[in-house]
This record gives sequence, C-alpha cells and structure tokens, in this order.
Amino acid sequence: MRGTGRGVYVGVNGRGRYAACKGGGAERHVALCVAGRLVGWGGGSVCTGWAVRTVRVLQPRGGAFPAFPIPETGSAYAVLPVRPSPHALPTAMAAVAESLSFLGLTPSARDPATAVRRRNRGPRNRKKGWKRWAGPEARLGREIGDFLEDVTLQQRVAGGLIAEQPDAGLFFVDTGNAEKGRKRKNKIREKPLHIDLVLQPDSKVPPPKDILSHQIPNGKKERRRRQFWERLAQRGVLPRAERRLQTRLQNAAAPPRGPPREKAPEKGRVDPGRSFYDIWADDNPLERALVGQDSWFLQQTQKQRVKRPPRLQQKPSQLPAVEVIAPGGSYNPTFEDHQALLLKAHEVEVMKKRAEDKVERQLRFPTAAEAPTAETVFREQCEGLLEESEGEEEEEEEQKEEAVGGAQPSDPPRPPLRPGKKTEQQRRKEKEARAQELRRRQEKAWRCRQQQLFRLRSLGRQLRRWEQELLRRRRAREAKRREMEGRPRRLGRIKYEDPALEVQLSDELAESLRTLKPEGSVLHDRFKSLQKRSLIEPRERAKFKRKYRLKYVEKRAFREVTL
Amino acid sequence: MGGLEKKKYQRGSATNYITRNKARKKLQLSLPDFRRLCILKGIYPHEPRHKKKVNKGSTAARTFYLLKDIKFLLHEPIVNKFREYKIFVRKLRKAYGKSEWGTAERLKDNKPTYKLDHIVKERYPTFVDALRDLDDALSMCFLFSTFPRTGKCHVQTIQLCRRLAVEFLNYVIASRSLRKVFLSIKGIYYQAEVLGQPITWITPYTFAHDHPTDVDYRVMATFTEFYTTLLGFVNFRLYHSLNLHYPPKIDGQAEVEVKPAEGKEYAMDSESYLEKLSALSASLARVVAPTQEDDVEMDEFPVEGETAEQMDARRKEQEALEKHKKLFEGLRFFLNREVPREPLAFVIRCFGGQVSWDKSLCIGATYDVSDPSITHQIVDRPRVEQQVVGRYYLQPQWVFDSVNAKLCLPVADYFPGVLLPPHLSPFVTEQEGDYIPPEKLKLLAMQRGEDPGEETEEEEEEEEEEEEDDNDKDEEEEEEDESEKEEEIKLKKMEEQKAQSNKALPVKVTAGKVRLEDKQRLEQEQQSEEKRLAIMMMKKREKYLYKKIMFGKKRKIREANKLAAKRKAHDTALKEEKKKTKKARRA
Repeated sequence: MRGTGRGVYVGVNGRGRYAACKGGGAERHVALCVAGRLVGWGGGSVCTGWAVRTVRVLQPRGGAFPAFPIPETGSAYAVLPVRPSPHALPTAMAAVAESLSFLGLTPSARDPATAVRRRNRGPRNRKKGWKRWAGPEARLGREIGDFLEDVTLQQRVAGGLIAEQPDAGLFFVDTGNAEKGRKRKNKIREKPLHIDLVLQPDSKVPPPKDILSHQIPNGKKERRRRQFWERLAQRGVLPRAERRLQTRLQNAAAPPRGPPREKAPEKGRVDPGRSFYDIWADDNPLERALVGQDSWFLQQTQKQRVKRPPRLQQKPSQLPAVEVIAPGGSYNPTFEDHQALLLKAHEVEVMKKRAEDKVERQLRFPTAAEAPTAETVFREQCEGLLEESEGEEEEEEEQKEEAVGGAQPSDPPRPPLRPGKKTEQQRRKEKEARAQELRRRQEKAWRCRQQQLFRLRSLGRQLRRWEQELLRRRRAREAKRREMEGRPRRLGRIKYEDPALEVQLSDELAESLRTLKPEGSVLHDRFKSLQKRSLIEPRERAKFKRKYRLKYVEKRAFREVTL
Repeated sequence: MGGLEKKKYQRGSATNYITRNKARKKLQLSLPDFRRLCILKGIYPHEPRHKKKVNKGSTAARTFYLLKDIKFLLHEPIVNKFREYKIFVRKLRKAYGKSEWGTAERLKDNKPTYKLDHIVKERYPTFVDALRDLDDALSMCFLFSTFPRTGKCHVQTIQLCRRLAVEFLNYVIASRSLRKVFLSIKGIYYQAEVLGQPITWITPYTFAHDHPTDVDYRVMATFTEFYTTLLGFVNFRLYHSLNLHYPPKIDGQAEVEVKPAEGKEYAMDSESYLEKLSALSASLARVVAPTQEDDVEMDEFPVEGETAEQMDARRKEQEALEKHKKLFEGLRFFLNREVPREPLAFVIRCFGGQVSWDKSLCIGATYDVSDPSITHQIVDRPRVEQQVVGRYYLQPQWVFDSVNAKLCLPVADYFPGVLLPPHLSPFVTEQEGDYIPPEKLKLLAMQRGEDPGEETEEEEEEEEEEEEDDNDKDEEEEEEDESEKEEEIKLKKMEEQKAQSNKALPVKVTAGKVRLEDKQRLEQEQQSEEKRLAIMMMKKREKYLYKKIMFGKKRKIREANKLAAKRKAHDTALKEEKKKTKKARRA
C-alpha cells in the first residue's frame, strides 16, 4: 500500500507540505512531503478522520521522489496572521532543511538505525512520552502535530485550507466609506442578537453524516420477505390480509346491499347539525341489540344498565316549571291588575325597609334625651346590689327556719350502712316483702279491672277522645307537610330568596309594543325557578380571595414627581 | 344484657344520607363534574327531615344526597367519560407546554365525548313523560338561542338551540296547537297543546339584553345540554306524528316562493336553510302527500258513565277548538318593519293566516306591501301615511288579543294611534265570585255570541257628546245615578245568589237553559228549602265550618264589589278628565 495508496492532501504549514495517504487497514500512513517532494512516510495511531493529530515518522525517504502533485499556492500565505508571514517562509524552509539534514534525509546522511543509541525512556505512544523523548523523530512528530492542529484550525475557521481559497474568499475591494456612512443608521438593527451568535456553529467543518439514521432496522430480513412475497405473487398467491380486502371489495362491488356506508366522524351532542332518531320506538338504536333476546341470555352475556329507581321519577317540587307572571305584569295591564301587582311589590319593599330600619334603630347613637346621665350610670352600676342583699337575707332566714322546723319532726335513726353480707334471715324477709308487694299490686290491678267494667262508657269516651286527638295531630302534620312542600327546600348554607318582583311603575308602562322596555331577565327567572323547585341548591358566587397581602411600593419615578 | 353496643349515627337516617363532598369523593369527580352529572341524571339534593341526626350531631347547613341515589350514579357510564376527559385535558396541556403540536392534534382528534341519549331514555321512559317535562326544555332552548355569540357559552350550543327552537315552532304551526299568548314585561308566554298536554314556555324579547351576573352559567349550560338532547328527540317524534320530514324540509312549491326571485344570492343554501325555516312563512313537506279530504269525522264513542249533556258539551268544546284553530284562515297579513316579526309571524301562521313582510327585513317574504289582497297590515306607529283602501291597519296587540279571545275582535279599538284596550292575561281563570274586570266581562259576552257592551258604550259616548253639546249635565248625572243604582241592584242580586249557592249546588242551574220558569222557580224554592232544613239539621261543628265557608265567600264577593266600585270611580274620573280636555280643546 505504501507509496501506491490513494493520496489525500492534508495541508501545509510553514515548514513544509504533507500529504496523508489513507491506508486500507487500521493503520494510517502519512506521506511527508516537503516542497512537493516526498520526504518520507509517517504513521499515526491517533487519526480521526481527516484530522491527523500526531504522526510518527516511520521511514524517511531519500532522493527526489515526487509522490503527489501538490499545488503551489504559497502566495496566499501572506494574508492571515495565523499563517507565518511570507518573510518567515524561507527561514522555515531552512529549518526544515536543517532538520532534514539532521535526520539524514540528505543522501549523505547516516542510517538512523545505526545512529548513536539513546536510552528510551518509557513508552512513546503517548504525548507525555514524546515530550520526554527528545529525539529528532520526536521533534518531527511534534512539528507534524502542530502542523496538523493548524490544518484543523483552518478547516474549522475557513472551511478549508486558506491556501486553496480563491482570492475572492480572502479579499475584498475597498471602495471607500461612502456606503458605510449611509448604512450606519441601520447598524443597530442589523446587529444580530448575542444569543444567535452564541448558538451559531463554531466550526465550518460539516458534521459527519449519521449513517445509522439511514439504516433500516431489519432491512435485510424485510427485503428477503418482500422478495419472497413477490415470488409468490408471481405464482398467484396473495397474503391473507390482501385476500380478505379483495373479497370485501368484490362483495361490496357486486351486490349493493343498503346505502354505501361512509364513515363520517360522529357528531357530538352539541353539534348543531347532529341527527336524532325515534328514541321511544321499539327498535331504537340504543336497544336494537337487546330486542327479542332471551332475558337469561342477556343477563349472562351483556352488561345491563342499572334500572332507574322509581323514586327518582318524582320531582322534588310540584311547582310548575314556567310560572306565568301575574296579570299585572302584562305590557298593557288593566288598572286593577297593575295596582294589585304594585301593591305586592310595595309590600315587599315595606318589609325590606322595616328590616333595614330595625337594624338602623339598634345601631343608632343615642340622642341627648336617651344618653346616659351620671345618675343613670350610678344606678346601673348599683343594679342588683341592694335588692340582692335584702333577698339573700330573707332567703337565709327562711333556710334557717326550714332547718329548725324540718329537723325536729323527722328524726329517724338512719339505718347504719352495712358493710358486710346480709344474713339469711334478712334475705328471706326481703323476699317475702317483695312477693307480698307483687301480690298486692296484682290484686289491685284485678280490682281496677273489675271496676272498669262499670266505667265502660267513660272509657269508651276516653278512647274516642284520644283517637280524635291523634287524628287531629296527624292532620296538622299533613297540613304542615303540604304547606312545606310548596316551599323551596333548604339545601345548603344559603337560603332561597325570592327574586325581586318585576314591575313597571304607572309612568313606565309602554304606550305600544314598540316602546316597551322589558323588565327583568328571562335567564334570571329560569335560574331562580330551578332553585325554587329545589333542583339546584342556592349558591353565591365564589369570592376572590387573595392569598397574600398586597405590598405597596412607591416607585422612584413617582416619588420624584414634585408638584 | 349481652349483644353488641349500639353506636350513634350507624343506623337510621344518618346512614341514608351522604353529604355532597363525600358523594363527590365516592365518585372520584371534581365538584363541577359532580354537579354536571347530577343535573344530567336528574338527581337532586335532598333535605333530610332530621338534619341534626343526619349531620351526626352538627347543625351546620349542608347539602345532602340520598345514598341510594349516589350508588345509582356509580353505575353511570358517563362518569368514566368525565374521568377520561380530565385525563385528556391534562395530556393536552402537557403537549402544549412541550410545544408538541403533532401530539396536541392527535389528542384533539381523539377527544373523548359522551352522548346523553341513554339518559334521555332512562329519565323519560315514555314519550308522554318527555312531553310533560318540555316546559323547561323549551324555555331554556328559546333563551339560549337568543344569546349573543360572545363566549358566554359555546357557539355550537346556541346554534343547536336555535335549530331546535325553530323546529318546534314549525311543528306548532303545522299542528296548529297554539292556544294562548301573553305579552308580559318579562317576555312572551306561549301555551300550546301538544298531544293533549299543555305546554307553556317563555321567550325573551329579541332586544339585546344584558347578562345578569348572579347566574351560574355553567349550571344553565348543563341543563341546556340535556334539554337540547331531549328536545331533539321530542321534535323527531312530533314531526313523525304529523308525517313530516325530520329534519324539516320546506314544501317544494313554497321553497320556490321563498327563494329570492331576482337571482341575487342571499347566502349559501346550507346556511340559508335554517333562516328560511326560521322565517316561519313556508309550510313543511310531508312524507306522504296530504289527501284533500283530510278532516275525517271522528267516530265518537260514549264514555262509560257519561251523560248526553256531557257528551254534548264535549262536542261543543271540540267544535270551538276547531273554530279557534282556523281563526285567521283566509286572512292575509303584512307586517311592517317596526313590529316584532317572529312572534307575530308565528302566531298568525299558527291560526292559518298568511303573512309576509318587507323583503329587506327577512328572508321568506312571499308578497309585497302593494299586494291588493292584503287584509290586515300590522303597524306600530302613531299614524300611517298613504293608507291603502281595502285593508285594516292594526296594532300588533290585535293579533294576540284575538287569539286569546278565540275570535277576531272588532278592529276599531286597535287602529294606529288609538289608546289600546288592556292586554289581559289568558292564564288567569276567574273562580266563581272573583272580581272580573269589565274588559274581560265584555270579552266573555262577545265569546258567548252577544254583542252588548260595545254598542251601548258607543251609544253612551255619543249621547254624552250630544249632552255635552246641549250642556245638559243634570240628565247625565241622573243617568249615571240610574246606572249606578242599577248596578247596585245587580250586585246585590249577585251577592244573594252567590250566598245561596253552596258547594253541592251545580253552578249551571242558572245558566241560560230553556226551561219553564215556573218549574225552575219551584225547583229553586224546593232546593232552598231543602238547604235551609239541611243547615238546621247540621251538627254544631259542621255548622260552624259551613258558616265559616259562607262567610269567606261573602267576603270575597264584598271585595269584588269594592274593586268594581273602585274601578267605576277610576273610570268616571278618567271620563271627566277626558271631557275637560275635550272642552278645553273646543274652547
């Protein structure tokens, strides 16, 4: 491979030109060329694609041996400060020549193998080892490394070797600053954002292609399968899915059974164009599947809906859904009806006013006549003191009297508490007493019953009276319940309140339908009606609650304003 | 003793109820979802009889539900849909947050939806059940259909409500089932009789209305969501009961008429169809072409225990109804642009009239103002320039009053610029002994076929005018006195009659029946005698009750008399004022 490999041009540095030759194996070889002439071969283990970082010289070559045609574009070097100046070029060339001579690249050079042996210190496969190793090869290697770094830098910055750039890519024609002045105004706007600059790609080397993204997983297998099915298709065998599709198409084409079913997206429940059907018919779509089936079969195979309990068919209130406004609410009412409605509205207002007045009266500051004087204050402070003492004395006296009078007549010797067990005799006596008491009671009851025979009439009267009382109570209860039924239930924190009566005053009444100004809102009426029928609980709008207190800060600009 | 200790609140009513929050937790739903579910399923909170027991000793006011109701809710399939929807919203929010537009689109395509069909069927097992609950549904749909499309609720809901409302109106027109209309200051009340069920609904005036803030729109929207589904199914059934197409189709020849003639494009066909329908001027196409002899005599089967009289009354009622349905048949109306078009067109068409309006006002105008066959032009301005001979110019109230009175009222009271007679509520039915305003009395008389009040009053007025000319006040006063006396006598008579009649007495005895007077009087005497004896034979308690009832009746009559007197005073005051103004004008 060596020497005959396809050459890939690597780059130039101030001291010479190098060409890299891509080897076929894992090892890459670099041809070292100076001034268009191959000077030797280098080998690098640290090669990443194009950028060959460190190259070790493997075999210097003697003699003039043109390896690859390397273009001479040295004139471009003068431009960039990155590059060595054209004046530096000869010196660099001289240095290379020197190194070459040191290396023995001249015909008169010694064989490196026979050169003076130096001790190898450590491995040289890392840069650290190289640094320690101060041989001529090492120097060359370092130089090559520097050179390669430079090449990569050029590639990153300029997108290729500067030496190869056309002149237009490097220079521009300076035509004075006439345009500059004109453009200055827009400069601020033209200046890109910093973030855009930061996000721009740093290097001009295009990113390597991701080969994996173009690969198809299981591509080989799929291809083989495809080929297999193609072969089968030639013989007339189709896959199952295809066969089913074909048959379905044929079936659909041949007998046009029913209308062609187009799968339009089902319209939602609020779509203005939605369709309806006869839901109360026997064969409505909801129950079509269930009609005519055995109930046992359905019970075993279908998930059946839970039956709605009949209690729910009753509405919570018997009030009508739409309560028609009183005749006085006509847009052109009769005199009496209107007056009646006004009276009703007036009564509501009076009640409201009364409640308001009551609160006001209770909260009012007392007038001069009612204001407490020194005398009333004193009396208030003494309240109860004098009278109480009198009362107490009396009470005490009474208690004393009671104690004196009560103690004398009733002075039975208290039976001493027996801490121990009862004697047998005591038990017997108690038992006898109990039995006797029981007997006495039974006898009395029997006697009473005997007597009741003669009280039959009065007993009957009593019974009747009691039954009537019960009946009255039941009726009262029912009446109360009936009365409560019409009323809206208490369903939550807030009580239902009747909406304000819609009424128009006599001078607000419309002359004709055209001039009518509607009163109240139907929406409000409907909402209140739902509440009145206890279908929804009355609620109040949730109040906005601030979690944290607002903090007030005076802005400086505001503070600075002085008037 | 033995046995387990009984603990408080583990038995009885405390276990039958569940608080709202507990129910919500049991169903694993958020509060708005729970509320929506309850409304859709028709499950309402319950007020327990012993709150303290149910509330485990606390007296705080809480919302309770029956535990069995909540257990019933647990089986509802749309509960799962609510949960799915919650998850869907979460996913969508996440996708938006991550700017994954593709994911968001995919999620939106698979948005979980639910339908309420099965709930409608469950809540209303029969069609009649649904009809009975239609009041709410109609009111809600009519209300929502007037909402502006400003985001208070979904635009789709508004459109659906409008469609359903228009369909229902068209059904009422086709079946001629409207019975009563009442223009109130709040809105227009309608009552129709659909398959024997009276259905009342209210529609707001079409003026722009402000939205009240103390109304929970979410709750209302949920109710509407359910009611639109219900109304749709009801409409379908109603249309099919009349052999009409559903969704409604405008009759072929009518459609040609409705189409703008000049070839000007009004709107796209699909868009303008609903508008054409909502114009209410065209009749609907039937599935089966109507035969010419449509009205077949109904076979009459006497109901068990029904006398010939009752049957007769029934037949009469039927005839009156048929007559009422054809109230405006053969009349051609034209609506000026200042009158509310939709209610008027609806009412006129409901009673067989033909109606049109200015072409620029709305689609569906069938004839022009200059059409000579127009019989009534509805006008609502103080005076009309260039009146065409051969047609009445009337204020819109005439139409509504005529419908309520079940006859075409005399037009003189309703000419433009004339002070209108009051618009009476047709929903008020006076009990016996109630005060009836004179306007209503006049109306009742006219319904009976008499024509008393109108002419006499006019005559009176004329007389009055003459008298005024003569400046003969004394006579007038006398006359008034006389009339007053007459009325007093009449009232006294009425009072007596009413006092006599008790519950057992049939009301119709005195109503004009052709009988020999002697017999009648004899019978009456006998009856009064019997009654007197019966009162004498009453027990003390019952007599007390009877006296109480009679006293109440008398009081009612007294009140009615008082009201009548008041009205009379008011009227005379008005008259005198009028006279004064007239005199002033003359002078």
